[in-house]
Amino acid sequence: MGNSNYALQAKNLNIYYGEFRAVTDVSMVVERHKITALIGPSGCGKSTLLRSFNRMNDLVPGARVEGELLFQDQNLYSPFVDAVEVRRRIGMVFQKPNPFPKPIYENVAFGPKVQGIRKKSQLDDIVERSLRKAALWDEVKDKLKKSGLELSGGQQQRLCIARAIAVEPEVLLMDEPCSALDPIATLRIEELMRELQEQYTIVIVTHNMQQAARVSDYTAFMMVNDKRSGELVEFDMTEKIFTNPADTRTEDYVTGRFG
Amino acid sequence: MGGILFFCGFLSIFTTIGVVVILGNQSLHLFNREQCVQAGGATAEEVFCGHATIGEFLTGTEWVPDQLKFGVLPLVFSTAMTSLIAMFVAVPLGLGAAIYLSEYATPSIRKTLKPILEVLAGIPTVVYGYFALTFMSPVLRDVLGQDTVRTFNMASAGLVMGIMILPLMASMSEDALSAVPRSLREGSAGLGATKLETTIRVVVPAAISGIIAALIISISRAVGETMIVAIAAGASPNFTFVPFDYAETMTGHVVRISGGENPYDSVGYNSIFAIAFLLFFITLALNIVGRYLVTRFREVYE
Amino acid sequence: MPPSSRVTFERELKNLRDDVLMLSIMVDNAIQQSTIALKQQNVDLARQIMAEDKKINDLRYKIEDDAYTLIARQQPIARDLRGIIAAIHIAIELERIGDYAAGNATLAIELANEPLLKPLIDIPKMADISRDMLRTAINAYIHWDIESAQQTIQCDTQVDVLDERVYHELLDLMLQDRSKVARATFLLWVSHNMERIADRITNICERVIYMVTGQVHGTDGIVQGVDGFRLADD
Repeated sequence: MGNSNYALQAKNLNIYYGEFRAVTDVSMVVERHKITALIGPSGCGKSTLLRSFNRMNDLVPGARVEGELLFQDQNLYSPFVDAVEVRRRIGMVFQKPNPFPKPIYENVAFGPKVQGIRKKSQLDDIVERSLRKAALWDEVKDKLKKSGLELSGGQQQRLCIARAIAVEPEVLLMDEPCSALDPIATLRIEELMRELQEQYTIVIVTHNMQQAARVSDYTAFMMVNDKRSGELVEFDMTEKIFTNPADTRTEDYVTGRFG
Repeated sequence: MGGILFFCGFLSIFTTIGVVVILGNQSLHLFNREQCVQAGGATAEEVFCGHATIGEFLTGTEWVPDQLKFGVLPLVFSTAMTSLIAMFVAVPLGLGAAIYLSEYATPSIRKTLKPILEVLAGIPTVVYGYFALTFMSPVLRDVLGQDTVRTFNMASAGLVMGIMILPLMASMSEDALSAVPRSLREGSAGLGATKLETTIRVVVPAAISGIIAALIISISRAVGETMIVAIAAGASPNFTFVPFDYAETMTGHVVRISGGENPYDSVGYNSIFAIAFLLFFITLALNIVGRYLVTRFREVYE
Repeated sequence: MPPSSRVTFERELKNLRDDVLMLSIMVDNAIQQSTIALKQQNVDLARQIMAEDKKINDLRYKIEDDAYTLIARQQPIARDLRGIIAAIHIAIELERIGDYAAGNATLAIELANEPLLKPLIDIPKMADISRDMLRTAINAYIHWDIESAQQTIQCDTQVDVLDERVYHELLDLMLQDRSKVARATFLLWVSHNMERIADRITNICERVIYMVTGQVHGTDGIVQGVDGFRLADD
């Protein structure tokens, strides 16, 4: 654990896809044990920014990052950092629930197994703990051998959250985790995020402003500039953004005047 | 228009049924009718007659129709042997190629390699046959010794057959692997799995039904393959388990006998229908098993 | 499913309710203490009440701020929305009641220099009735109890009657003895403040009725019924 009080700090982060600069000059701090929301109109680069936080963009051919991304005083984009290790420490939950076509148990045990944990008792323990944390244990404890795909959408997403926290990451990135879910399942995930906040730092991308307002402590509003590249317009406490934003563009967006 | 299309569909089904009926009917002649041969070859006067039974057909280890010995096992075993050798070549290499193409190759490499692979699949099998006879067999004989390896042998036929099937196996497996949604790879990567771990633990299991389908079709292809074995594996039945020995396969035998001057309803004529019918059953069984395995291992990911 | 899938929201609503309850206790205390300060001519106590009023104001603004944030962040609708709107209005009413109590504390300081005109009887009685009303009103708010809100509104008449009696009594005193005019006027203000406190409590009850029924104009006539001579209710 570093002694810094931030979980992640972006310094002049620029993200390119080939020649195209998708995100321009983002500087922001993600505070520990807080929920930070990235909002903005479609195509504003919020998902791209999120995916740069655990070097997920490395998987996209031609993607390139300039600037610094500090995680415990270390630049994640320094050449000495292993992207695989980064993803172990900074987990991710995706837009569409993507459980592996495997039993529920195997889904959760996947990460720990990849990390070399083989002992059955230890795995059992991790699986139960993770499923409990994800508020799914009671619903699935009798069918751990059933495929993860037999669960409902909301349950699948909670399974994906359990899977992500099974590797004990420090930060959890969530890329529109509720966009494929119904309102009730959405609220359950939101409540879950509030509970997880005690142990993890969460960054969430959402196209749903109300969701950002409900769950986050900090909100970053992004927009494309005249070169069609995403920029950070305003970053502040969520309360401030939703009651009295400083930038008129933010106000126009959160009041539904455009975007 | 609808009528024409119906006719097309009907015709293909009708043809299939027709083939099965004729095949079955003809092959029954071997068992229903008294078979007569002239002992001591065509010039001899003496004529032997006897009945073939299905039990003898399926369990006998000698196939000499001229002596009324109708044990089909030597032919079945050599077919199994050559197919097995072919699968030992085609499955690991094909799967490896498929994984490389789907997971590791850059889009431009994939765009170049896949068509080449498919061209490979278009080479006439007779070419492969002579490749086996004039290249693979001499190489095997040089490497393993002239005494161990015969000029006509199952090993070289099997190896080359494996090479022939490889593009099919690779191409079909690649299709199955590519169909695995990106989100699963991302999910795995997001948990800190390396590319290799992701491929082995997530992508291949998710594509397993497609890969099994590729495997089954490859086996069927190997079992049914004719020209390579006819040319390179040998031209007389031999009940042996030594891969470097000659042995005629079911298809090889059928094509050789049917090329000769066996008159209608002669012993040879009837015997090849029985063999073909058995072959038909074997491939049918493989397909059924394949279908079962595909549904059994299907990991639906949507 | 758990009882509620909006645990955070429920908790924040409860916090808001608790704050309103806390504010009402502080205000209730201020009414009680200001009456004691008057009775005992206790300047220190009066000063203390005035200092406490700042805390009341602070809590009122906190409630308002929290309510606005809650509206902006949780998108409340239907009864949740009405509850929050009611909380804002009730907090404003409570703060004004606190102001009246603080006003009475100021008057207590003015009245502390000379002996009391007469033993205070009706004014403490008004205070007692008002405090009862306040408690039942806040109970009605907490429990969404429309009946007890309506009953509380009825009690306002008692305070109005007492106010009128005090008014006439003090008027007589002033007519008899000019030296008593200043002290009588202060007491008149005290009585008026008490009457206003009761009015504010009926406003709280109206908010409770709105909160439960969604009707903004539930109690026309009841409030204005008694005191024809006073200017329009504010």
